[in-house]
Amino acid sequence: MAAQPMPAGDRPPLYSLRHLTYTYPDGTPGLREITLDIFAGDRMALVGRNGSGKSTLIRHLNGLFTAQTGECRYQDQPLIGALIPEIRLRVGMLFQDPDDHLFCPTLYEDVAFGPRNQGHREDEVDRLVRDSLTMVGLDSLCGKPAHHLSYGQKKRAALATILAMKPHVLILDEPTANLDSRQEAVFKRLLHEYTGTLIIIEHNLLFLHDLCERAVVLADGRVYHDYAFNDLLSNPQALREHGLDFTFRFAGRNRHYIGAGHHHHYLPTHDHGTEGGHLTPKDSGVPLIELQHYSFCYSDGTPAINDINLGLFAGETIALVGENGAGKSTLAHCLLGLHRGKGTFLVDGRPLVKGDWPLLWRRVGIVFQYSADQLFCPSCWEEVAFGPQQLGLSPREIELRVQKALAVVQLEGFDKRVPLHMSGGERKRLAIAATLSLQPEILILDEPTASLDPKSEEQLLAVLEALPMAMLLITHDLFFIRRLCSRTIVLHQGLIIRDYKTGAFFADNQLRTINGLDNIN
Amino acid sequence: MTSLATRTIVLTPSQGVVFLLCLLAPLLLLLGCRWRRRKILGRMSTPLDWSIPAIDAQAHGSSVFHCWMPAVKIGSLLCLSFLIVALHSLFWSMVSVLIALIAVHLARIPWQRPLQRLAAVSGLCALFLLVLPLTSPPRPGETILLVPLLEWLPLRLTGVVLALTISCKAATVALLMEPMFATSELSRTLQGFTNLGLPGTLIQMILLCHRYLFVFQQEAARMQRAMRVRGFVPRTNLATLRTTGNSLGMLFIRSFERTERVYEAMLSRGYRGTFPAAAKQFPTAKDVAKGLVAVLIGVLLLVLDRLYPVQWP
Amino acid sequence: MHIADGVLPVSVSLAGYALTLAGVGYSLRRLDSANLPKVAVVTSSFFVASLVHLPLGPTSVHLLLPGIVGALLGPAAFLSITIGLFLQSILFQFGGLTALGANSLMMGLPALLAGFVFPRIRGRTRTSNALAGILVSGGGVLLAGLLLAALLATAGEDFWGVAKLAVAAHVPVMFIEAGVGGCTVAFLFQVKPELLAVQTFSGPRNEQ
Repeated sequence: MAAQPMPAGDRPPLYSLRHLTYTYPDGTPGLREITLDIFAGDRMALVGRNGSGKSTLIRHLNGLFTAQTGECRYQDQPLIGALIPEIRLRVGMLFQDPDDHLFCPTLYEDVAFGPRNQGHREDEVDRLVRDSLTMVGLDSLCGKPAHHLSYGQKKRAALATILAMKPHVLILDEPTANLDSRQEAVFKRLLHEYTGTLIIIEHNLLFLHDLCERAVVLADGRVYHDYAFNDLLSNPQALREHGLDFTFRFAGRNRHYIGAGHHHHYLPTHDHGTEGGHLTPKDSGVPLIELQHYSFCYSDGTPAINDINLGLFAGETIALVGENGAGKSTLAHCLLGLHRGKGTFLVDGRPLVKGDWPLLWRRVGIVFQYSADQLFCPSCWEEVAFGPQQLGLSPREIELRVQKALAVVQLEGFDKRVPLHMSGGERKRLAIAATLSLQPEILILDEPTASLDPKSEEQLLAVLEALPMAMLLITHDLFFIRRLCSRTIVLHQGLIIRDYKTGAFFADNQLRTINGLDNIN
Repeated sequence: MTSLATRTIVLTPSQGVVFLLCLLAPLLLLLGCRWRRRKILGRMSTPLDWSIPAIDAQAHGSSVFHCWMPAVKIGSLLCLSFLIVALHSLFWSMVSVLIALIAVHLARIPWQRPLQRLAAVSGLCALFLLVLPLTSPPRPGETILLVPLLEWLPLRLTGVVLALTISCKAATVALLMEPMFATSELSRTLQGFTNLGLPGTLIQMILLCHRYLFVFQQEAARMQRAMRVRGFVPRTNLATLRTTGNSLGMLFIRSFERTERVYEAMLSRGYRGTFPAAAKQFPTAKDVAKGLVAVLIGVLLLVLDRLYPVQWP
Repeated sequence: MHIADGVLPVSVSLAGYALTLAGVGYSLRRLDSANLPKVAVVTSSFFVASLVHLPLGPTSVHLLLPGIVGALLGPAAFLSITIGLFLQSILFQFGGLTALGANSLMMGLPALLAGFVFPRIRGRTRTSNALAGILVSGGGVLLAGLLLAALLATAGEDFWGVAKLAVAAHVPVMFIEAGVGGCTVAFLFQVKPELLAVQTFSGPRNEQ
């Protein structure tokens, strides 16, 4: 399928790529025969599955990679040699992990790094630093080291380091990964204010919606389509082909209707109350785990969660929502016994005694936000077998559990694969399998959808929907909440401010606003 | 008998108790700190035994040390430290501890960090204090201490004095570290080293390394937490070694991958092999005067030490 | 174990400093400037790895890692170790500032040796790599222990007892570290062999 170039008029292109091909040193093809023009003032979305060559492509645009075969020209000059350092001062590039951008001892130094390299005088540097920090709302933190910032703040700080250089071209690699909606909105506002050429890699097409005018779809290192952005959105078949089909999110609505007082399932597997939500099965009157008046402070005295009352029942799926920093992860760690706070911790209705703490992991499993933190074995089999081995099970039982867990997450036959080399979605499912092999009664998932492409999200959803155990889902993703959860708990500044049926949660616009799902503070 | 004969001092019980307390002080400090830390860590999910302290948490102040140009401060205090470790006699080493205590007091920083530093050196000091009195080689004319109830364990005075001297010197420099490094921001302090002639690239490397300590510490902590929730308990066995080996391997892979990304981010913002330097500073007369005082104190101590090598006060 | 301030004679401390500075200067000049930030970032992960304590009977030991650092960094290992020890000294007081030179030699020389030996003996199979990892990790610790003893012995006859004890204390650490090192190398061989194959920062100056 040939690329369909946008009508360009008579403007000369800013970048013109001709038959650009790049192969990694280990032989993996990165780009194949890319031909593409990017014009000054373009606002372009670069989309495609994980591994389709988007990151490789943007690295050519500021000379991090140079053309192996083919050509990459900037303002009609080939991007090689002495031009590269010059280009880098004009083309800003924001990578995914903000920690990679913040390599100086303080935030001020970090933001000053670029302008100083541009050769500005010190008073000019100072002005640029303060301006851009003010723009992202971090001016009060300019003397702090980066490790004192929260994730959202780091992400904005990283953007400030680039905005301070006043780039003509701004390239962003998945700017919204792991951000809550409030932070996302801040980003969107900042990008709206930016007037230069904008190139964004992003899975979240909804975020790009009124930000981009052009969408370039990459697949297997080729330019597959070059659309006006709205044409891409209105072409579901193309979306599906490229694993970008987030429309499953909307399709679900037809089968899973939530209205005032009603709550239907596509497959009616369990009872529902009249006011919405699932009914707790009658025979499990005692929650598996219950916290009563539970509080936890960090070692420096900052309260993290306060007076929590929460019961988890067998078989129910609960959403835990709240803005970044509301204490969701801390609460999860408390449920696992990783943090021990003050208050009553009941398991099966009985208070936990001292010796029980180290055994909580047998009943409660967690899948952390970053798969990289959880996967440390050289093969998938060992990864999934790790937990059962700690339980001291027989080799036969271990083998049985491994195969079962891999099957549940649709990774059959992956035994020998190296987890590190698998895709983001596969790694996430492997992390789930590694927890499932312990056969927990409660599964906690911390931001399971972060940085997954829509295709992987869809697979993940299918896996999660089939799991029988009680689940606690920490997420910002309203769609996953709607599809999976019967009950929603809203955490705000360490307090549970609501604990209600998901239907009621969706009806409660005001609360969604308070809790960073739309807006906060 | 000649004067070279071995002298034996038998301590009274009360002297014995005081003496043993002196000898065991570092050990007690060490155990005390361990116990306290364990109490704090018991409630936390911190799987690492040490979290990384903020060295320059107290960087903003108005003490003598805070308003001292870092280059001169580092240079002269380092000089002082070297002069102090050159001391030979116990008495003057004790005096140096006193001086270091005064310095910490003048720097007006909380005592917690200096105490932590003392605890960190106390392990090695305890080793010296326990071993040297027993293993010092026999010398003609030496003195042997007998502690009541421990008569079967003769302690050689040379060893005792030597171990105490070392402990005092180690404690002095450990205490001086706080006024030296905690009283201005780390980047400014290290910038001071460039003024002393160390290459700027080295200093930038140290700062980069310091910055990413926190990132990797978080990563390692999260990885250990993930191992723990899957039932991993470190024990003295092969499985533990294997799991630790794997997780370290993973940590290294992640760090090598991160280096590439950091370097790309640096290049993208115009890095060309050198960090842009901030403006140069020059010392004032006051800075230099303070430096001279510090060095003079050290020289004076050393001279007194060599002229009057007093062991016991 | 790191040497504290005041243990070594001043002459030895100063000689240690002189040698270390010479070594660092040489590394800085020899390494490509593009690699310096990378070495720094990797050093932080070694630092963090050395904070991991492993239980040994009733007590626990932490890893020293000269062997692994050497195997992964080659000639850049000395620079990396010096930076790491400097930070350990100013952050934790592990090892005195005046003894930094001696401490760097004590850990850096075994690392350099490991970096020299490892690529020559590692072979091509997972087992031979693991064995080479065991050898350089364990050997690195042993050598560090012996250097420590030698440095202590320079302080006079009084310290010989402590020196022997120090070597003895390194023996259990050696076994633990040999085990961990072997596993780390085996893991890297399976998952990312290129880290072992090219000592990443030691090659000839590459174009940048």
